[in-house]
Amino acid sequence: MNELENKLSDYIDALNAEQEPEKGQLAAGTPELEKLMATVLQVRTLKEPALPAPGYPKRLAKAVAVQIQENNSSNYQRGRRLRNRWIGPFVALAAGLLLVAVLTSWTGLFNRDVVYAMEKAVVSLSNYHGILEVRSRNAAGEEWLARRVELWSEGDKYAMRQDDGTLTVNNGERKWQVRPQSKEVALLPPAPDPAKTGFDLRDEAKRAKQYPHTVAGTELVAGRQATKLEISPPGGLPYYLWIDAETNLPVQLQTAMQNALMTTFTFTSFEPNMPIDPHVFTYQQPEGYTVVEKDPGQLVATVQEAAVISNFTPLLPQEAPGRIFAFQDRIVLDYGDTTIIETVAQESFEPVANSALGTAAGGPLEVWWERLRWRQEGLEIQIDGIRRVELAGQIAADLTLPDNGQNLLNRAQVKVPVDLEIVKANQQQVDRGSSPWQLDPLQVATTFVNLKVTPDGIQGEPLIPASAFKLAVNNGAQAVVEVTGGPIKQVYLERLVRQDETGIWSVVGYDPR
Amino acid sequence: MRQAPGFSCNVLDNLIVVIDVINRPGKKVQLLVTTVEELKKAKEGDRQAIERVCSATWEPLYRFIYFKVQNREEAEDITQETYVKTLTYLQKHQALQGNFLGFMKTVALNVLRDRWRQKKRRGAPVNFEEINPEETAHMDHQKAVAQRLQLENALAKLSEDQRTVLDLRIIKSYSVAETAKLTGKTEAAVRTAQYRALQGLAKILEDHA
Repeated sequence: MNELENKLSDYIDALNAEQEPEKGQLAAGTPELEKLMATVLQVRTLKEPALPAPGYPKRLAKAVAVQIQENNSSNYQRGRRLRNRWIGPFVALAAGLLLVAVLTSWTGLFNRDVVYAMEKAVVSLSNYHGILEVRSRNAAGEEWLARRVELWSEGDKYAMRQDDGTLTVNNGERKWQVRPQSKEVALLPPAPDPAKTGFDLRDEAKRAKQYPHTVAGTELVAGRQATKLEISPPGGLPYYLWIDAETNLPVQLQTAMQNALMTTFTFTSFEPNMPIDPHVFTYQQPEGYTVVEKDPGQLVATVQEAAVISNFTPLLPQEAPGRIFAFQDRIVLDYGDTTIIETVAQESFEPVANSALGTAAGGPLEVWWERLRWRQEGLEIQIDGIRRVELAGQIAADLTLPDNGQNLLNRAQVKVPVDLEIVKANQQQVDRGSSPWQLDPLQVATTFVNLKVTPDGIQGEPLIPASAFKLAVNNGAQAVVEVTGGPIKQVYLERLVRQDETGIWSVVGYDPR
Repeated sequence: MRQAPGFSCNVLDNLIVVIDVINRPGKKVQLLVTTVEELKKAKEGDRQAIERVCSATWEPLYRFIYFKVQNREEAEDITQETYVKTLTYLQKHQALQGNFLGFMKTVALNVLRDRWRQKKRRGAPVNFEEINPEETAHMDHQKAVAQRLQLENALAKLSEDQRTVLDLRIIKSYSVAETAKLTGKTEAAVRTAQYRALQGLAKILEDHA
């Protein structure tokens, strides 16, 4: 029975991913299973169809023309299928229509989860053009426009024009910045490219899903009806996100009042899934402008070419990268959603203070936000993006991620009582930007041990120096710090409020020497 | 002009007008126009003519195919194959004097049946010439409307839990893990619940067939 249930579930998953179910899923079934699969198809007819990505008629015509020409020349063909494998398929609108259809027909039967709908709409967003305004307000109620940015985004490409006319473009092959004030064009490395605007649609959708949220009503935002969501990061102050009722996409974000300042990001105009003029992403040096170039990297065809430019041979996953960029000191392998950066290892490997630790190639593996970093065969390898674990595993076969199911704290010989209210207040303080040292387990351990030695407070340099503390384990939620001198041998720490990179560490136990 | 509730099509002098009444709330009506001249060029492989024909006619055809296969990947493939087969067929036969869209739907049905046969190794072949395209398209639309009504009635007979699991998994396309989170069930319980809900629905549909 389980096998049949799983098969049926896989079949539904394939259709939900808008993919043709595997032949095995169809052929190996019993008549009962086939009947249920047919019922699945029938239920799905209540949905709006997922339409192809924009530009489909052109791609279709091209593929048809090629096949007809092949037919004409050989009079026999089986024909290559020129399946469109475009990223960012256009289903946002379909998703919106589907929800409307479902709500119209089954109102009251189901709870509509706007966050899931938003997440799906964001994933399906193929391109957009919009104007993003960033406004700040102080505790006295004074509000001002901090900046206004015009944005064009299509797949991996984007262009961004600031108030002062500065235009930054990354077209997937090159990145450049046109600076009208100084009349220069700066050529910049196209990958990796850090976050663009401070209000990234994908990040916001992810955060909203991750943290508890409630619907706080509907409001008009820049003339559009939007659902207001209150999002409450554990232990943090709530903030608000507005989701456009028509497209299910986030249109406004308002931060909590932190340090007497609150910021609101608003798309005052937003056109999702509309064709964008290709000229926006075409490099053209304006007349009279000088070109400023500081190792912008070169797009190369093979790893061998990259090796010649960068003077080292990178370690490669089995899967070939989409693009390779070679710089004087590094090689970047770009997989679209994930980027690998390799450099020659220099000095000792120091994981970021609030990272979790795993192992790779027999050494430590730094796990920090969506980034993995380790050393292997004299190279330092850093992978950012959603497929980091899969690709890292192809380079370092022994890759082990931190085991956050493992309880490290049971071993502590002395338990340290913790007042959760104080910890929560500390977390909010850190969220406001104060005392960031609490995000670093080493610094928390250093402070704790030195206060044991000098309970009246640390004057000047701590008695037991920071160099005596070494992070032994950090699985992201719990950590153990070893101390080479003083009355304490090991310190046990835990992220009690929030178990991600924004969560503070508290000492929950120690082993006396 | 024939007034069918679903799709109808006419050749008026040199114009092929495809009227697409899409069956959804709001009843959007689209007029899609292509010409006999363009069709002639298209069947000879003229890329621009093919593009104009595709632009004018792809959507109702795609929707028709999607209705049958319920996934974009296969719908795109079959749409493409249908255009190739239609234009190749027209190269060998005289110009089409009737319902172009209906004809393409018939070709699409043949492609679909071929694929199903390949998958299941059974089923009967369908001949192009034996099918009345206008009737096929018309019948299909009526059938779709009837099926929708029947389905909505059948769904209403399920328990609320069963409707919820089908809504989340199939209509809203949530994963098993997401559905489990939303309903407070385990993933295994979601798989069992969706299996039983579909069994229940299939039985109701069979009983009322």
